Amino acid sequence: MIRLQNIEKVYRTDTVETLAINGISLDVAKGEFLSIMGPSGCGKSTLLNIMGLLDEPSKGNIKIDEQDISRFSDQKLAKFRNQKLGFIFQSYHLINDLRVLDNVELPLLYRNSSAKERKILATAALEKVGLSNRLKHFPTQLSGGQRQRVAIARAIVGNPQIILADEPTGNLDSAMGNEIMDILINLNKNEGTTIVMVTHDESMAHKTHRLVRLFDGSQFNNQKLC
Amino acid sequence: MFKHLFKLIWNKRRQNFLFLSEILVSFLVIFAVFSFLTYYYQNYSKPLGFDYKRVWCINYDNGELTKNNDSLKIFYDNLQKALKSMPQIEEVAYSGANYPYSDSFSSTGLTQNGKKFDYIANYTVGTDYKKVWNVPLLEGRWFLPEDAVSNNKNIVINETLKKQLFGHAQATGKLIGNYDEKEKLKVIGVVQDIKASGDFLPAGSAIFNPIDTAFHKYTHNILIKVREGADATFESQLYKFMANTVKNAVEIQHLNEMRDSKNKQTIIPMVIFIIIASFLVINVALGLFGVLWYNINKRKGEIGLRRAIGASGRSVSYQLVMEAVILATISLMVGCFFAIQFPLLGVFNIPTSAYIIAMLLSVAFIYVLVLLCSFYPGKQAAGIHPAVALHEE
Repeated sequence: MIRLQNIEKVYRTDTVETLAINGISLDVAKGEFLSIMGPSGCGKSTLLNIMGLLDEPSKGNIKIDEQDISRFSDQKLAKFRNQKLGFIFQSYHLINDLRVLDNVELPLLYRNSSAKERKILATAALEKVGLSNRLKHFPTQLSGGQRQRVAIARAIVGNPQIILADEPTGNLDSAMGNEIMDILINLNKNEGTTIVMVTHDESMAHKTHRLVRLFDGSQFNNQKLC
Repeated sequence: MFKHLFKLIWNKRRQNFLFLSEILVSFLVIFAVFSFLTYYYQNYSKPLGFDYKRVWCINYDNGELTKNNDSLKIFYDNLQKALKSMPQIEEVAYSGANYPYSDSFSSTGLTQNGKKFDYIANYTVGTDYKKVWNVPLLEGRWFLPEDAVSNNKNIVINETLKKQLFGHAQATGKLIGNYDEKEKLKVIGVVQDIKASGDFLPAGSAIFNPIDTAFHKYTHNILIKVREGADATFESQLYKFMANTVKNAVEIQHLNEMRDSKNKQTIIPMVIFIIIASFLVINVALGLFGVLWYNINKRKGEIGLRRAIGASGRSVSYQLVMEAVILATISLMVGCFFAIQFPLLGVFNIPTSAYIIAMLLSVAFIYVLVLLCSFYPGKQAAGIHPAVALHEE
């Protein structure tokens, strides 16, 4: 599903060059739930951004769904992200000036779906995460766990093949974290969605199929869990 | 997308209040500037209606002249003949004080079919007044010397007054009442409108009455049309001649200089108004640019998110520009509501067409301003790297 080949990422300023990722190769199979762990600054989020086509590698090749995306234009990349990928962030990234339903509808706006279709799909996505009674609320009126569930609904509303989750339980207490993890596990099991999750939480990582550990921008462990 | 942007704008109405207010105030100021400019341009593009070149006006104090009307008539007839006999003078005519470009204004009222017409410029003129100014006659005839002793009081009216009183029908030969309808005035001719207050102000309605014997004691203006080559030496001779004749103070004014002065009375305040409005517009433009720039920096996380979920750089830029355009449209709708009251209430006596043109120009101006101010911030927003924006948030 996702194939990374010898990926390198270097951040350059006028005086400093920082090697964030150093020659990582990784395959993620269709329907797999992969977790990535490692200490802060080891390149986990950078790797996830590269997988999510939000950042370009300095070297190496990336293929998603057998497509080489290295020559995609900005327009084509945007369309690809919209149709194939869903994102969940640690800090939710909800638009506070939009109601829950409007936040969830956002990815569909860029598909030119009709208002009616958007509403039906967004309501269904919110039902899946147990928030069908919060459609008209603003994000600021919700708890952290509820906000993350809204973010999950937004990630799944377009029925993407891949979900990339950057520390989705990082801002939540363990009970809420487990709730969110259960939703992701169900998505993976029931819908067959491929999930790549960055986490600091060992217990959450152990609920996934495979754990990849990074250190100083390199992959040093690839552990099959179940 | 529009519905989505409306929702976003509505939910952020408090934050958008400053932007909306800036646009509204700018629109109203620009509308005022354009209303006057359009009005002045409309007047400027109409024909002047007379020839002011080589026309001089001799103003004199007639206090030392005899008070006997009959003697005065003889005196003025002789004076006119003497002036006309000078080789440098082409035409001579007596006039009331309110000749074109003078600071005097005399108005009267008329009654036609029971309807009163006010603020009609009232000119009292000599027989050769038309020749001095070369005013085109549209209908009927100009005054003859015998009109001064006619049974009816004969008048000549201008084109504007003719349209007000008779529409497209013939005016010559018709009788109209004076203000209190005690006296009937007979229209003997119609002349083209003359813009007596300068190039930028309207001619308005006007009537011309012939000078009669009783008016001579109020006569202290002689209009002369000089020939090409009439110079300062001749002016000096003329001055001496007039001073000896009237035995009192004399002043000679050139109508082209008076016209320039009259036009400046319109142009200078307008230029000051445009300069002040320009400063305001520059400030507003900088303000808009600042607000949009600030919004982009404040909304980096949102921009990053939109990029992540499927927005291209171009669509992010488009969204920000469209938000500014929608906000401007809301302000312009409020602004137009206020602006439309001016023609509806007939404020400042400016024609409706000038207000409508000004409104359209102001709307176009504001859209151009908003597009210019939002284009660069929108372009910058399109260049925001999604990974960096999401990380910063």
